[in-house]
Amino acid sequence: MGATAMTAGTLGTASKAIGQTKKPIPKDPIKIAAISFLTGAAAAPFGIPGYNTFAMCADVINKEGGILGRKIELLSKDEAGGVDAQVKLCRKLVLEDKVDVILGYISSASCQAVLPLADELGGLIIAYDCGTHELMEGAKSPYEVPKFKLGFRSKAHLGIDNIGLALVIKKYFPKIKTIAGINPDYAWGRESWQIFEVAMKKLMPQVEVVKTLWPPLGNTDYTAHISALMGAKPDIVHSSLWGGDAVTYTKQAMGMGFFKNIKMAYSRGEPYPQEVGKNFPQEQIICCAGTHYFLYPPHDKSPLNKWFVTEYQKRYGKYPTYPCYHAYQAIYAYKYAVEKAAKAVGGWPELDDIAKATVGLSFQTPSGTLTIREDHNAIEDVLVGFTKLTPKYPFPILDPKRLEVFPASQVNAPVGIKTVDWINSWK
Amino acid sequence: MFKNPRWILYLLILITLLFIPRFLSIHDLMLFEYGITFAIVGLGFNLLLGYTGLLSFGHGAYFAAGAYTVAMIGKYFPQAYSLEILIPAALFFSLVLSIIFGFVCVRHTKIFFSILALSLSMLLFALLFKLYHITGGSDGLRVPLPTLFGMSFKGIRRPEFLSGTYYYFLLIVFAISFIVMRGIVSSPFGKALQAIRDNEVRAELIGIRVRRYRLYAFCISGVFVGLGGALWTFVNGHVTADLSHWVFSGEIVYMTLLGGFGIFEGPIIGAIIFTYLKLYAMGNTQYWMFVIGATLIVLVMLLPNGVAGAVSSLWTKIIKKSD
Amino acid sequence: MWVVYTLNGLYFAALLFLISLGLNIILGVMGILNLAHGSLYAIGAFIAAWIIIAIGMKVPPFFLYITLLSGFVLAGFVGFLMEKSLIRFMYKRTLEYQLLLTFGALMLLEDVIKMIWGGQAYYASAPFDLLGKVDIGGNIYPTYFLFVMIIALMAGLFIWLFMSKTKLGIMLRAISLDREMATGLGLDINRLSTFAFVLGSGLAGLAGALVVPTTPALLGFGHEPLILGFIVVVVGGLGSLKGALVGALLVGFTRSFGIAIFPEIELPLLFLIAGIILVVKPQGLFGR
Repeated sequence: MGATAMTAGTLGTASKAIGQTKKPIPKDPIKIAAISFLTGAAAAPFGIPGYNTFAMCADVINKEGGILGRKIELLSKDEAGGVDAQVKLCRKLVLEDKVDVILGYISSASCQAVLPLADELGGLIIAYDCGTHELMEGAKSPYEVPKFKLGFRSKAHLGIDNIGLALVIKKYFPKIKTIAGINPDYAWGRESWQIFEVAMKKLMPQVEVVKTLWPPLGNTDYTAHISALMGAKPDIVHSSLWGGDAVTYTKQAMGMGFFKNIKMAYSRGEPYPQEVGKNFPQEQIICCAGTHYFLYPPHDKSPLNKWFVTEYQKRYGKYPTYPCYHAYQAIYAYKYAVEKAAKAVGGWPELDDIAKATVGLSFQTPSGTLTIREDHNAIEDVLVGFTKLTPKYPFPILDPKRLEVFPASQVNAPVGIKTVDWINSWK
Repeated sequence: MFKNPRWILYLLILITLLFIPRFLSIHDLMLFEYGITFAIVGLGFNLLLGYTGLLSFGHGAYFAAGAYTVAMIGKYFPQAYSLEILIPAALFFSLVLSIIFGFVCVRHTKIFFSILALSLSMLLFALLFKLYHITGGSDGLRVPLPTLFGMSFKGIRRPEFLSGTYYYFLLIVFAISFIVMRGIVSSPFGKALQAIRDNEVRAELIGIRVRRYRLYAFCISGVFVGLGGALWTFVNGHVTADLSHWVFSGEIVYMTLLGGFGIFEGPIIGAIIFTYLKLYAMGNTQYWMFVIGATLIVLVMLLPNGVAGAVSSLWTKIIKKSD
Repeated sequence: MWVVYTLNGLYFAALLFLISLGLNIILGVMGILNLAHGSLYAIGAFIAAWIIIAIGMKVPPFFLYITLLSGFVLAGFVGFLMEKSLIRFMYKRTLEYQLLLTFGALMLLEDVIKMIWGGQAYYASAPFDLLGKVDIGGNIYPTYFLFVMIIALMAGLFIWLFMSKTKLGIMLRAISLDREMATGLGLDINRLSTFAFVLGSGLAGLAGALVVPTTPALLGFGHEPLILGFIVVVVGGLGSLKGALVGALLVGFTRSFGIAIFPEIELPLLFLIAGIILVVKPQGLFGR
C-alpha cells in the first residue's frame, strides 16, 4: 500500500505537493515521548542509560536553540508492563496526548506490537533499540518497502550482530566442532539464533549444533540451563540474552564453573563487562550491536565520540553503552529529518513530510555514519571484540589489538531481500 | 419476559448508546468498546458465578480461545478473515474448550473446582506461551481489521473503523447477548441453576441433574466469554498468551464482583467501571496495582454485593421509606 | 553430568518445598488459598538482599547467613499484618471472597514492594561467593546450593517434629482435620490460625531470601514461584506436608531434567503432569 508513495522519496526534497500551504513554525515545544525500561531487570543496564541519553541530547539540543527554534519537551514513559500495556500506552500518546514523535522500545516484542500502530493511528514512531529483523521484512524476497509509512528504526537490525559473530568465529576459531545456543524465547531470541545458525551453516558447515535452549524472557534462574549446556560440551555458546537476563546468566554461570571450558559469544554483549565488573570472564566474544563502544572509534579519530563519552560520564558517572548510542541516533534522526523536511516544504513539516525526509537520511554519530534506507531501517557497520582485563579500567574492555570491524555492506541485507535469503545466496 | 417494564428502560439506554460516538473522543470511545466486550464476558461469567454458585479463576482460557481463534484465522487463513466467519468460529472453539475443561471441572466443587479451573487455564497459557512458531509465544499475534459481509476496510485506520461500523456491530451483538442471557436466566433452566446454587442436595432430590446442569452453565458461560474475547481483539489489535493467565481470569472475577453478582445487570456495570478504573489508574500513577488491589479489598469488605447491589439496596431503602 | 542434574533437581525441590510447605500449612489449617503467597516470597527476597548489600563484607561471614533469616522474619510479620487486617474477616464468608481478598493483597503488595525498594534489581551474591565450589564426582558444584538443600531439609524436619510432637503442632493438625470439632474442643481457632498464617508466610519469605544470592530480587519476582508452588500443592495434595515434599521433588526433577533433555517443553510439561494427576486423583497424591 505504501510502497509507491515512499519509493518516490527521491522527489521529497525537490517538490512541494500541490495545494500545500506553508505552515509557519509554531512557538510551543515539541512533545517527544521517550519510552524505555525504567523499572525491572532491563532498567539498569539498558533502559535507564537509554533514557539518560535522551535527556542529555534533548538538553544539549535545547541549549543550542532546539529544533527550528522549538524547544524539546521530553515525556518519559516506562516500557515495562508487557506488550499489551505498551499498545495501550502508544494509543494514548498518539490519540490523547498528541505527541509529535515516539522514540522508544528496547524490546523486540514491544516493537512488533507497536510499530504497526504508527500507520494505524497516524503517529510517527522511531524504534531506537529493538533488533527484530522480521519487523520490517516481508514474507518472501523480494518484498515491498517500506512496511510502515510512519514507522522507522534508527539502527540496523540483529542481522549485523549475528553475522558479525559468525564471521569472527570463522576467522579466529576455524577448528571448532560444536556450538550451542541459549536465547530468550521470543522474537528477538528466536530470530537472533535463526540468523546466527544460517550464517554458521553457510560459513562453517562442518560445525554441529548440540543444544538450543529457550528460557523465557525475564527468567531469573539459569541453573538448569547452565548445567544442560555444560553437559552438551559445546566449544562456543551463542546467546542473545540481554539486560538483566544476561547479567544474571553470566553471574550464575561464573559461579558454576561454566567458563572453564566453554566460551560465550554474546550477540549484544557490550554493556555486560561494565555491569558485572572486574570478574567478568576474559576472552569472551562480544558484539556491540553496531560499532557502539565507548572506546571506538578511538577518541583521537572521532571528536564526536570523545565528546559523547565525556559528556555522558560527566553527567551520569559511567561509560555509555550501546543503548546510549542508539538513543543518540534516534533523537538526532528526528531532528535532522525535521530540519530536512522543513527546508523542503518551507515551513513546519507534516508527519508525511518528515517521513519522506527520513528516507535517505545520513548523518554522523559518535559511532560513525548512520544511513536510513527506503525500507525505513538503518544500516551500520558492526564491531566484535574479545574481553580483556587491563589495568586502566575496572572492568574488562575489548582487546584493542583484536577489534574486528565489518563494513555495513558485508553484514546488512540489500533492500527488499530477506536476510536469511541473502545469507544463503553468498558464494 | 418482554412484558416487564424494565425493557422500556433497556430500550432507552440502547438508543442513547447509539449516539455515543458523537460525544466521545476516539480514545474514550475505544475504552468504552473495551467495556462493552467485557460486559459480554461478565454476563456469561456471572451465569456460572452468580446463578450457579461456581467460582472459576480460569475463565481467561475461554477468552483466549475466542481471541486466538480470530488471530490464528487472520494469520493462517486470511481469505476467511471476515466477521461472519470469525465470530461463529470463535464461538465454536470456546464451546469445544469449555466442554473439555468443563467436563473435568464440574465433577468437583468449591475449592477443588476453582483450583482445577485455574490449572487448566494455566495449561493453555503455557501452551500458548511456548508454541512460539504457531502462536507467537509471549509476543502474541497482531489482529488486523476484518471484513464484514463483503465490506472491506482497507485504507481505513483502526480508530475510524472502531468509531464507525464496528461500534454498531458491537452494540448489536451486545444487545443480542443481553437478550439471550436474560432469556436463559429467566427460563426453568436458569431457575434450576439457582436451586443448585442454593442447595445442591435438595436440587438433586427434586430431580435436577446437578452435574449435567453445571456443565451446561459452564459451557454457556465459556461461549459468552469467548465471544467477548473475539470482539475484544479488534479493539485491542493484539493478542498475547496473558489472556489465559490466572491473573487475567482474576480480573474477570473482579469486575463481576465490582458490579455485583447478585443482580443481572451487575457484571455489565462492573465491566464498564473496571475498564475505566484500570485505565485511569494506569494512566495516572505508576502504582496503579496498589489502587486496583486496594479498591478490590475495600469492595470485598464493605460492598460485597458490588456497586449494583449497593445501589439496589439503597433504592429499596428509599422506596420503603416513602411507603 | 547426571550428578549435576540430580543435584539441581534437589536444589529446586528444596526451594519449592519451602514455598509449598507454607502454602499447605495455611491451606490445611485455614482452608484459604493464599494467592499473595508469591508476594511474601518476594518480600523475603528484597529484605534479605537489601540487608546483605547494606552490611556487605563489614561483618563476619557467619552473620551474612543469619541475615537470610530476615526473610523469614519480615515475611512472617507481613503475614501477621495481613491475617489480622484482612483474612480474619473472611472466615465467615465464602470462598470467592477469600480468593478475591488475597488477589487484592497480591496487587497491593506488589506495588508496596515497588514503593519501598523501587524498580531496580538487587544483586546480593556475597553468601554465594563465600561458599565457593565443591567437587562432586568430577563435577564442580556451587556449595551454596548444598547449603540451601540443608536449610530446606532442616526446616522440613523442624516442621514435622513440630506438627507431630508439640502441643501447638498437634492443635494445628486438629484444626486442619476438622475445624468444627476442634472449636468444640475449645481450641483457640483465631490465635492458632494467625500462627499458621505467620508460619506459612515466613517459610515463603525464607525461600525468597535463600534464592537471592544467586538470583536478583526484582519486581514480579514472586509470580513464577507462586505458580510452581501451586503446582506442587495441587499435585502433592492440598494441605498435605508429605505431599509438599513429594510434589516438590517431582516438579524439581521435571524442571532440571526437562530442561536438559527436552528444552522446548519446560512449563507446559509441568502443567500437563498436574492436569493429569488432577483428573485422575483431584485431591492430589496425598490429599484427602
